[in-house]
Amino acid sequence: MGYTTMGFAAGVLLSVKGGVYCAPAWSFVIAAMLVSGTMSFAIVPAMAASESFLAVALLTLGINFRYALYGFSMLAKWKGIPVLQKWFLVHSLADEIYALDLACTIKDPLKNRLYCLFNHGFCVGYWVLGSVAGSIAGSALPIPSKGIEFAMVALFLVIFTDQMKGFFRHYG
Amino acid sequence: MAEEILHTAGIVAVAWVVTFGLRSLPFLLFAGRGRDVPPSVERFGSIISPVIIAGLIVYSYSALEWRTAWPYISGVLVVALQLWRKNALLSIIAGTVVYMCLLSAGCTSNDYGDIVLDAAHPSIRYSTQGFLIGERYVDPRRVPAILKSYDVPTDRVIHILVDEESERDLKPARAFMGLLAHNGYRRSVLVTKKRAESHVRTEEEMALERQQYAPSPRHASPSGKRKIRYKGASD
Repeated sequence: MGYTTMGFAAGVLLSVKGGVYCAPAWSFVIAAMLVSGTMSFAIVPAMAASESFLAVALLTLGINFRYALYGFSMLAKWKGIPVLQKWFLVHSLADEIYALDLACTIKDPLKNRLYCLFNHGFCVGYWVLGSVAGSIAGSALPIPSKGIEFAMVALFLVIFTDQMKGFFRHYG
Repeated sequence: MAEEILHTAGIVAVAWVVTFGLRSLPFLLFAGRGRDVPPSVERFGSIISPVIIAGLIVYSYSALEWRTAWPYISGVLVVALQLWRKNALLSIIAGTVVYMCLLSAGCTSNDYGDIVLDAAHPSIRYSTQGFLIGERYVDPRRVPAILKSYDVPTDRVIHILVDEESERDLKPARAFMGLLAHNGYRRSVLVTKKRAESHVRTEEEMALERQQYAPSPRHASPSGKRKIRYKGASD
């Protein structure tokens, strides 16, 4: 549910501020390919300003660096999953999906694999659904958009707050 | 148009390549080995990612109305809510709604409505009280940035209307023209009310208007609300 709502917000933002021709189509592509809430927000100003590829690459690197760390904790769990399924899991290893994967305590490898596949599949589905719905709503309805760009900053603040809490639990 | 779609697709593609690369990094590094992550990597990660996010927060504040208190009030609200309720969605939505409300409470705005840049009714006005864009007084030092945000090309002639009572002291106006020139807008012209009313477009100006009237989609303003109209005295 959270994913649908966040996707909706990202979709609205893209259609209102992205300056692209067919926002729902782009929204679909972005949601399905990036599967990253933060990036879906951050890419909007980049699209609007036609940023250079290098700038986008650096931006993505900075924002999504944390994903590189998620994989480490999944190495042992996902051993022996067929390549194609594994790449799908890797492709959609986003914040909340990762948290759900971690929370799963099923020991049986086959059942665990099914759980992960379902989890990723449904989350991505909800995410894409929300994004496309948001962008359609954003282009069709006069949603007040002034200041909506704060959503991205709020997302960063939330991530940072949670990171700080974890940090102090470990080291403080 | 095709070029722009390609560029947008390129942006998404680049973002995907980097994202996917990051996600698959551990699986590539430790392919075939099911061993644990070295603690050094884990520690590095737990330190470096908050630093990156903190940098992003500072950077993204520059896109907000960071000269006002509103983004900070909303930011504190987001952090407080997140600590209290631990519900990311609630924190984000509440913070954004509060920010939008504070902004539209009319406390500040970067939107100057339509700017008209022509000799007959110039939007930039110099009066004894200061400089105006449209009906609003502005800090003259901000004008170049505002013109840039409206995508006004630097070779465009900028007409500045001089109020009758301020005609006697043109020093600030000249200093303002110097400031514009310093920021690339070298072709600013002072116009008095009388001249503005009797202005007839020159050939050069008409050519300029035709040339610049074609909207370039690459630089189309994202909100779609900001418009510059280039008009001659005859319309």
